[in-house]
Amino acid sequence: MGQDPSAPAAETGFEEIAIPWLDDVARFSRHLTKDPADAEGLLQETFLRALRGWHTFTPGTECRRWLFTICRNTFIQGLQSRKPVAYDAPELEALAAAAVHAGAVSSGMGDIFSRIDLGDAIKCGLDKLPEAFREAVVLVDLEGMSYEGSAQVLGVPVGTIRSRLFRGRRLLQELLLAHAQDAGLAANRSFGPLKEGT
Amino acid sequence: MNEDATMGKMLSCDKVMRQLWDYLDEELTPERMSAIAAHLSGCNRCFPQYDFERAFLRAVRSVREENPPPAQQRERVMAALRANGLP
Repeated sequence: MGQDPSAPAAETGFEEIAIPWLDDVARFSRHLTKDPADAEGLLQETFLRALRGWHTFTPGTECRRWLFTICRNTFIQGLQSRKPVAYDAPELEALAAAAVHAGAVSSGMGDIFSRIDLGDAIKCGLDKLPEAFREAVVLVDLEGMSYEGSAQVLGVPVGTIRSRLFRGRRLLQELLLAHAQDAGLAANRSFGPLKEGT
Repeated sequence: MNEDATMGKMLSCDKVMRQLWDYLDEELTPERMSAIAAHLSGCNRCFPQYDFERAFLRAVRSVREENPPPAQQRERVMAALRANGLP
């Protein structure tokens, strides 16, 4: 009754179009919740909501983005409160990134990201980022979404995505450089290439 | 001198630094992408930071988990969907 006749009928095509994105939504759920049990609950609720709202999905649009939006909204609704986060202008963040690079060079870590496998430290660092910044980094850097697509998932303007993304990257860099410094991974050319943990 | 190289020389280092992330994310117009690429190729001041940020992004992208959720988890989700009307 009153349903758009061009919209997919309930359940029609859901298994063919939405279910293939289950792995992607599961990964996004894990990044949001940082807890395997919570992630499974979020994943299941996301797909149940998607099934119930399947008639609102527009055929031909990006289903993954639609599912991520449902997933993120479901996650937000489950939170008691969200702490306000301060943002700087994206351009200021870009300049702050230059300061991080200068600091890395002066401490012998200008090539740290190409020289050493920091995979485990990056995963830990991502979990330490404030939620708003982590969401932006996960969507753009891990899921390969555009600024516009990420903005749609998070329901914010593109400028906000840029601010959050740039700040998130800078914070992550600072965490990684501190980790490398503490682990004694600054360059020492006389000893040749270093491997983390050696 | 080609047009991209000319545009690149017209850009200041400050302007390039302000758009470095947008450049690395390929979020700029083709003309601006070309101009910044031309600037970076000839700027000893900007290129090291570009190289640093590019290596950082590659490192971050490399940690994307490709492991699918356990089969049992997938089955539980599918069972819940079937219980709610999925054929």
